[in-house]
Amino acid sequence: MNALMRIDPRGMILPVGLIIVAEAAARLTNLQSDALAPPSDILLSGIKALADGSMLYATWQTLANAFAGLAIGFSLGMALGILMGLFRPLNRLLEVTVEVLRPIPSVALLPVALLVYGFGHRMEFSIVAFATLWPALILTRSAIAGIEPRLLEVSRALQLSLGARIFKIVIPAALPRIFVALRLAVGISLIVAVTVEVTTNPMGLGYKMMEASQGLQPGLALAYLVWVGMLGWAVNGIMVLAQKHLFGAAANVEARL
Amino acid sequence: MVSVNAKAAGDPILEIDKVNLTLGGHEILRDVSAQIGNGEFVCVVGPSGCGKTTMLRLLAGLYQPSAGAVTYRGQRMLHPRQDIAIVFQDYGKALLPWRTAHGNVALAFEAMGAPRNGRDEKIEQLLVKVGLGGQGKKYPNQLSGGMQQRLQIARCLAQSPAVLLMDEPFGALDAMTRQGLQDEVLSIVRETGATAFFVTHDLEEAIYLGDRVIGMLPHPGRVAITVDVNLPHPRNQLTTREDPEFLSLRRQLFDFIKDAES
Amino acid sequence: MKVERLLWLGASVLVFAGFIYFWQLISDYRWVSPVFLPGPDRAWQALVRGITTGDLLVRWTATIERMIYGWLLASLAGICLGALIGSSERARAYIGPTLELMRPLPASAVVPLAIALLGLSETMVLAVIAFGGLWPMLLATVHGFSAVEPRLYEVSRALGLSRTAVIFKIALPSSMPDILAGMRLSLTVALILAVIGEMLASRDGLGSHIMLAARAFRSPDLFAGVILLGVTGLVSAMLLSWFESWMLRWRESR
Repeated sequence: MNALMRIDPRGMILPVGLIIVAEAAARLTNLQSDALAPPSDILLSGIKALADGSMLYATWQTLANAFAGLAIGFSLGMALGILMGLFRPLNRLLEVTVEVLRPIPSVALLPVALLVYGFGHRMEFSIVAFATLWPALILTRSAIAGIEPRLLEVSRALQLSLGARIFKIVIPAALPRIFVALRLAVGISLIVAVTVEVTTNPMGLGYKMMEASQGLQPGLALAYLVWVGMLGWAVNGIMVLAQKHLFGAAANVEARL
Repeated sequence: MVSVNAKAAGDPILEIDKVNLTLGGHEILRDVSAQIGNGEFVCVVGPSGCGKTTMLRLLAGLYQPSAGAVTYRGQRMLHPRQDIAIVFQDYGKALLPWRTAHGNVALAFEAMGAPRNGRDEKIEQLLVKVGLGGQGKKYPNQLSGGMQQRLQIARCLAQSPAVLLMDEPFGALDAMTRQGLQDEVLSIVRETGATAFFVTHDLEEAIYLGDRVIGMLPHPGRVAITVDVNLPHPRNQLTTREDPEFLSLRRQLFDFIKDAES
Repeated sequence: MKVERLLWLGASVLVFAGFIYFWQLISDYRWVSPVFLPGPDRAWQALVRGITTGDLLVRWTATIERMIYGWLLASLAGICLGALIGSSERARAYIGPTLELMRPLPASAVVPLAIALLGLSETMVLAVIAFGGLWPMLLATVHGFSAVEPRLYEVSRALGLSRTAVIFKIALPSSMPDILAGMRLSLTVALILAVIGEMLASRDGLGSHIMLAARAFRSPDLFAGVILLGVTGLVSAMLLSWFESWMLRWRESR
């Protein structure tokens, strides 16, 4: 994670070298391909798509879908996770249901969403919501389980109401680990949104990429690919920074599903 | 400069000759010389930072001196050898947690390329020798700290070592376990005729075990005193520790370290 | 203690059955149009029919095969590459940042590139699965190999273990917890990508099955496929977690 901030010059040799080799190879062989393009072409196509606004509009569509789905899926998952973490019987009663539903691959619901909503925003963010709900639930539940038991005893001794207990003790205590879950879910939301767009939904970055590829514009298609990678990297970077800023050393917990 | 000579007759098995060691810009050892006779039991004591563990790692061939030489039977120690075994202090880290007790001892035989037939019996004998008979199927984290350290000793004995290097092996154990293990190490060493080099911060442990005790001082690490221990064998946790000789040696080393620190 | 656990499990199954019954009520009373949501009875009928006629069974096995081949390919490549990179501090310094750069890239985003390069072929689907499954494996293995207890390397030097012995007897087993966690993640990714690959390349499998069923408004067939995919995910995860706890049985303390 820290590798993100620290720049070791040795680490830059490989990517820079690969780009140079790709460029040289493309020029020497006078590359004529429907799939590949020299890095310079990718860069130019990317700049052009950025300048005419089409790339930014597609980015906006993808991010809007991803974050709308995330907002629904994560808050639902977090709420369930808190309840199941706090009330053991509830956790045990829902165990089978959670374990059966969780492994359904999110893309399996793609046709279902398509059937119900047709193309558009709603089918996309409903799938993102399903995909982000589970990590939110599981990690919140384990974050609650990881709270120092003494704190819960304190809240009981103070005779706090359930709402006060949740908002004054439980959530603040579990927040660092819930944030780690959020970071993970943000990444998932972006991945799922792009996946939905690549496979079915005609909007956003994924569709643009597919369109450019099928329109035999490999430079543009690869520019979108690089852009999606940069976006994922930037979103994760922002989340890491936010995590450090908000929680400092307390954030040194890793998410494991 | 204090020079430490082997008490035993004949050539020393291990020799440290005017060794300096600098690691990462820090002078760890300065002009250290010592000789360890064949079959001798040498203990090293000293406050933390005096380089006693470093000295052991030099003898093991894990470190190379910046100046001077470490020799084993007259040859330079350039890398670890199979006939020099090391018992590390942190047994929890030095055992393979994914192998059973039996498997951990087997690792030494595998390293030596020893034949497979008869290996299992040999391993069981070694486990019995260190008091782990019948525990071969257990994993390290199913064993107590004392038993884990016994297991490490068994693995070292599997190497049939001529020299046993021990780095504060009982430092993390409780007093009762520690005394039991001291006696077992003594009898094992006497039985196998191995040479022993034992690092500890416990003065009494050093005197109780050793034929000779080397005292070291820090900043930079150097040999400061050496005393011969002429206590009778076999040693006994009660009588030996009450022996006037034992008490006077303890006093001598204690005063020495006290003086050096002030 | 055991009895109590079983009772809770039974109660939990009952709760799940309650949800299924609720689902049945939804369709019986037409709260949701059966065009979108068939009842569990009709989904079950479609499932049984599909399996007895063999259509669904063939597609199911095709999906499982793709998933497993791609996953094994990814695991093998991931472990080998990860071991190479992870066991050398220098390799980590040179290659690590590039891996970090590639990590957030969604595997599905390389699908257009893979289609352009390999066409709508079986190879394309396998390549995408293997590529997607490779990253979790690779990163986990690199982490495992770089986190081997340094004391164990000293022990192997003192014992005189050979270089290959150190890799196979020390580093690999020590990295096993990370490797298995990577394999678990990689298997999930493999199933998702198998489904996507089938949908896009129209290869015969559950992915194309559910897509065609949705396009033809055959919702019972669609739900039968979704159920099978859920079962595949559940069973494969369970098998792997059993394998994991067997492999890591040395972790259980007294």
